[in-house]
Amino acid sequence: MDPFGNAKAFAELWAAGSKAAWSAADAAAKGSAAAMAASFGAGQAEPAQGAEIAAGIAELTAAGQAATQLWQAAVALAQSLPQRQGKGGEAERAVSALFARMTDPRAWFDVTADMDQVLTWMTEGPQLSDLWGTERQYARLARAWLAVRQRGLEHSTVVLGAWQDAARAFMQKLAAVDKPIPQDATLRLWIETANEVLVEMQRSERFLEAQARLIGASTELRLAQQELAEDLGARFGLPTRRELDDVHRTVTELRRELRAMRRAQRDSPREASAPRALPAPETAPPQGARPARATSRRARS
Amino acid sequence: MATPSPTAGLGAMATFGTKLATGARLLGKLRDEQVRIAATEKDLVWQEDKVTLHRFRPLAEQRIRTPVLICYGLIGRWTMADLQPDRSLVQNLLKLGVDLYVVDWGDPSRADRWLKLDDYIDGYLHDAVEQVARAAGTAQVNLLGICEGGVFTTCFASLHPGLVRTMTLTITPIDFHADTVESRAGHGFINIWTRSLAPEDIDRLIDANGCLPGTFMGAVFNQMTPMRTLTKYNLDLLDVVDDEQKLLNFLRMEKWIADRPDHPGEAAKQWLKHLYQENRLIRNELEIAGRRVDLGNVTMPVLNVYAKDDHIIPPATSRAIGPKLGTADYSELALPGGHVGVFVGGRSQALFAPGVAQFLAARD
Repeated sequence: MDPFGNAKAFAELWAAGSKAAWSAADAAAKGSAAAMAASFGAGQAEPAQGAEIAAGIAELTAAGQAATQLWQAAVALAQSLPQRQGKGGEAERAVSALFARMTDPRAWFDVTADMDQVLTWMTEGPQLSDLWGTERQYARLARAWLAVRQRGLEHSTVVLGAWQDAARAFMQKLAAVDKPIPQDATLRLWIETANEVLVEMQRSERFLEAQARLIGASTELRLAQQELAEDLGARFGLPTRRELDDVHRTVTELRRELRAMRRAQRDSPREASAPRALPAPETAPPQGARPARATSRRARS
Repeated sequence: MATPSPTAGLGAMATFGTKLATGARLLGKLRDEQVRIAATEKDLVWQEDKVTLHRFRPLAEQRIRTPVLICYGLIGRWTMADLQPDRSLVQNLLKLGVDLYVVDWGDPSRADRWLKLDDYIDGYLHDAVEQVARAAGTAQVNLLGICEGGVFTTCFASLHPGLVRTMTLTITPIDFHADTVESRAGHGFINIWTRSLAPEDIDRLIDANGCLPGTFMGAVFNQMTPMRTLTKYNLDLLDVVDDEQKLLNFLRMEKWIADRPDHPGEAAKQWLKHLYQENRLIRNELEIAGRRVDLGNVTMPVLNVYAKDDHIIPPATSRAIGPKLGTADYSELALPGGHVGVFVGGRSQALFAPGVAQFLAARD
């Protein structure tokens, strides 16, 4: 196995990928700009004719195809890498397998891949009492932040796909009109078309799942932040959110009891002097919270 | 199409420029205090914690003896029922001789994280109803519930039917899974969206924030009309920017939209899980204050007002209550417009309050 050959192959992969990515992005941008310019006449009084709009649709499609070709080229190139390595013993085969995994383009889009494995081990591995508590919190926070970035990217991808569908639908509608239409009518057509496509996208499983995952990820990040902030604040004697929630819970339950007592007095004034049984206070802790401390309140008999 | 003449083009540019200049001048001279909503005069009659009860000052001789209590929900505020003098259910009812009250839930904070629907329905609302009856010198009260507030009044009417003379529901969801009945594009998104969340996701969301943040729900609402949201501050505002009255109407609506209180945490869990996800109300499985809410216990006359084009509360989700009630005196009033449009739109002003007043007068 020639280590220099592998490095060279890896460098070629990145160079080819980078060049192809920029070419595809450039083609997509030029295609979209040309299509829009053709549709709106680039400052001319009259919008483009049907043939020019059809050409714009074709350019936009070509830009999408360029991105697809990029992906296919990257996968093919990554698959060809192992063929450049010589056949060796067990150690060499293990390194080859690792190298193939490292150069798998699918890993490029999974920003949490190896990092996530490390963080998972740190946050979910066996805990040793007082060791590495703060480190675990920081690791959990980092993992949560990465998850939000990833879920945000996934969510944006779904929405971006819908925008592209809307643009295609809009240009198809324009192409179907055999006479030029005023610009304000064109704008209304775009608003109407885009709204139809976006509303339909919102009801899709893909969008709802992506948004639910994004909401979940941002919630976990917030909780990780709070946990770390509470731990640090507690070291300096600052009241924590958890303590305040406990206080508010106690106050709410007391108010509930007071309202019940007042109502009991109003409903039965002649029995007001006799003690009445009050509803038992709710003591079930919220999900994920530490168990509430025992209080000195007791239900009156 | 003929090539536009340079003169016409210059004329269009001049018109547009004048519009912008006028709009800039108007926006420059207007102050926030000039953009007033809920300006109809009222007096505080009772307060408990953050909850207030106000009585509106009459605008006409009282014709309906039993007072009416407006009960809004915890998402947004009742003030859209009194947006401006010519778009006000409140003023229209007052002019028809209704003795009108409104309960306001205040601005819940994280300190209210543990309040449940039980506290609002069987606690605050119960106390407010008794205060209204005491102030008006009546044994019963007419309830007028709006959206989530309509769910509150429905539960209350089931638990305490003896205190309720009549109940008017407006844009109120009862069957939270009936959004699929009509399947109109863009309608019932909240129902679908909530069902896409796992119950534990809702619990974590509420636990992390201590509430259901008003800004969060505002973003969900904005999603329902994506292009309208994107074009509101350019195209829609541009349409009205040079007309002071229209601009003020626009700004009043903005003021109401911006007022999005946080929804107390435990109450939000019940709202999203027990109602939107599990649909307990229509199945008579919802429990409030340890008692089951049975729609069959709603035995007083009910008027159900709904918006024909309501994309937030599809009509089928509201009209589902009819067959479940314990009263034969059930009627409906279908109004043109959307969820908020029935309150603030021009088309419904001549129909809404008169329809409600007529219903109340015939049963007073």
